[in-house]
Amino acid sequence: MKKTSYTLLVFILIFNLVGCGQQNMPVDESVLEADWEAITENVKGTTVNFYGWGGSERTNRWIDEYLKKRIQEEYHITLNRVPMDIDNILSKLLGEKQQNVEKGTIDIVWINGENFYTAKNNELLYGPFTEKLPNFNDYIDQDSVEVKTDFGFPIDGYEAPYGKAQFALVYDQERLDQAPKNHLELLEMAKDNPGKFTYPAPPDFTGSAFVRNVIYDIVGSEQFMDMEPNQEIVREAVQPAMDFLKRLKPYLWNQGKTYPATIAQLDNMYADNEVFNTMTYHPYAVAGRIATGTFSSGSQIFLFDKGTIGNTHFLAIPQNAPNKAGALAVINFILSPEAQASKYDPENWGDLSVLSFDQLSIEEKKRFEAIKIGEGVLPIEELLSHRVPEMPADLIPIIEDIWSENILKGE
Amino acid sequence: MKRIKKSGYTLLMNTIIFILGFPLIVLVIWSFTKRWPWPCMFPKAFGIRSFQYMISPGSNTLQVLIGSIWLSIVVTLITLLISIPAARALGIYHFKGKKLFKMAILAPIIVPPVATGMGIHVAFIKMGLVNTFMGVVLVHLIPCLPYGVRILTNTFEITGKSMEMQAKVLGASGLQAFFYITLPLIAPGLMAASSLVFIVSFSQYFLTFLIGGGNVITFSMMMFPYIQSGDRMMASAYSLVFVLTIFVLLIVMEKIVKRYYKTHNHFYI
Repeated sequence: MKKTSYTLLVFILIFNLVGCGQQNMPVDESVLEADWEAITENVKGTTVNFYGWGGSERTNRWIDEYLKKRIQEEYHITLNRVPMDIDNILSKLLGEKQQNVEKGTIDIVWINGENFYTAKNNELLYGPFTEKLPNFNDYIDQDSVEVKTDFGFPIDGYEAPYGKAQFALVYDQERLDQAPKNHLELLEMAKDNPGKFTYPAPPDFTGSAFVRNVIYDIVGSEQFMDMEPNQEIVREAVQPAMDFLKRLKPYLWNQGKTYPATIAQLDNMYADNEVFNTMTYHPYAVAGRIATGTFSSGSQIFLFDKGTIGNTHFLAIPQNAPNKAGALAVINFILSPEAQASKYDPENWGDLSVLSFDQLSIEEKKRFEAIKIGEGVLPIEELLSHRVPEMPADLIPIIEDIWSENILKGE
Repeated sequence: MKRIKKSGYTLLMNTIIFILGFPLIVLVIWSFTKRWPWPCMFPKAFGIRSFQYMISPGSNTLQVLIGSIWLSIVVTLITLLISIPAARALGIYHFKGKKLFKMAILAPIIVPPVATGMGIHVAFIKMGLVNTFMGVVLVHLIPCLPYGVRILTNTFEITGKSMEMQAKVLGASGLQAFFYITLPLIAPGLMAASSLVFIVSFSQYFLTFLIGGGNVITFSMMMFPYIQSGDRMMASAYSLVFVLTIFVLLIVMEKIVKRYYKTHNHFYI
């Protein structure tokens, strides 16, 4: 809602000011034409501003304590992390574009999904730049669907993968004997423990993913990949899943009359023993939560047998980035096996690596294998073998509407 | 009878203090709490992760805190500079449309900052004020001025201009009358206004974001993501520092003003 109103406001302002100055921003191609040695030579002593969500202390700490230090050593670049929500970043970039500000302040943006779609369609991003990065060419599987598309939208080299997320459910072994393996077992579990399961109400990112996972579990995922974003077609396809969620509703927390609004609330309810389950998009972060003592030591992630949704988060460079060469150098370093392994370590962040394991050397593989994945999580092979692709971004709001009509407001 | 009245008063005061103070106690407990599950009366495990992160040099928390205090002090001083003459005019003089002006002064509080913020952003880009300290100071004045002007208007309405006129009758110049008579008289009002303005500026989030563009980072910008993401330990620790900073600064300010003017709340409040 907030996002929609911001975007609307921005557009109203754009139309207001269309007459004021319509020049195309000069595209700075010089960086992309230079060779890599020249780029890394020129970035010494510069500053790179890295904008992104700042709500996780562990993520912030990885950037502040590991990345900043290594970037300084490797390229003599000062990395400056700015905590800013993607909504604010986009409205800032749109505002600047409208005024033809050629030199903005943002060098790197942490982005994915519909936000990338908005940014690329509004020509806010610089590129295509990924083929310029040596580590992208060396370690990343260029043909993978997850590298070529972001929520079904073609990337065309305008963003480089940063890390991988995968949906997983969490249960407390001390309070539940067994984790459900599919939606029917989930219903049984809820019936046995009424009021002890719930999910965040879509459009919460994770709650929405839970609903999509249930849909996949009941009607399969293939049909959605090229489905037309039409309310009627989608409604018909997801109807069996909506019927199931209706059956589940009376056994939810507070009889399904209300839902936690955000995943943060559900996590806190789980930590407070109010419910037996929570869910996450960052399966390895659960090990971190157990280590910091936020979650009980009996916490364990589990997946549905038919798989859970995985998606990738990315890094992009704005069209008006003041230090594009520096941004390229930093992104290249983030794609190195060293940085990805450090990020993968649940002691640090616990974010899944984006590198193609087959393209790593033996030493580099060992680096990954040496990492202990921590308590309460599943081995990486198990996660990846249960990974199903994300739906196209334009279907998601339609499904969220259908959910709110049928489940939230329905009887 | 009198004793009962007195003890009733004490009870009431203590209840109010408890109601105001209790959330702070919870905040202190949570900032050291790892896990506090139902039905435990007390937290299960304590830790200092939040404060460890805050004092780690990589997190920049201390620098940002000092920067925010400096920003809010600058905003407070400028607000007072603008508010004193404006409030004097509204409080003492009689002119046509005075009521309208008094209402219009409150407009920035009534209109949501998102609505005006986007327009201001565009204007500031044209003027080259975005992403600068000065731009953020200017944009903070918008929500701060109504408080400054309104509080000081009431102060001037009470003090009136008779004392100032008396001084002038006795031969003081305009400046002398202002510095020796008016300023000490309105000192309690100034204190109230500056405290409130400081708090308003210190808690600004959206406007700082929009105009500062990440070049100017304030403490509330660091704190807010933790509150949103539900990390109660970090959120409580940051909130605690936030509240304590304001508290300490207000006490220091009050001490300084009181010493300088040797003034007490003599005739009102």
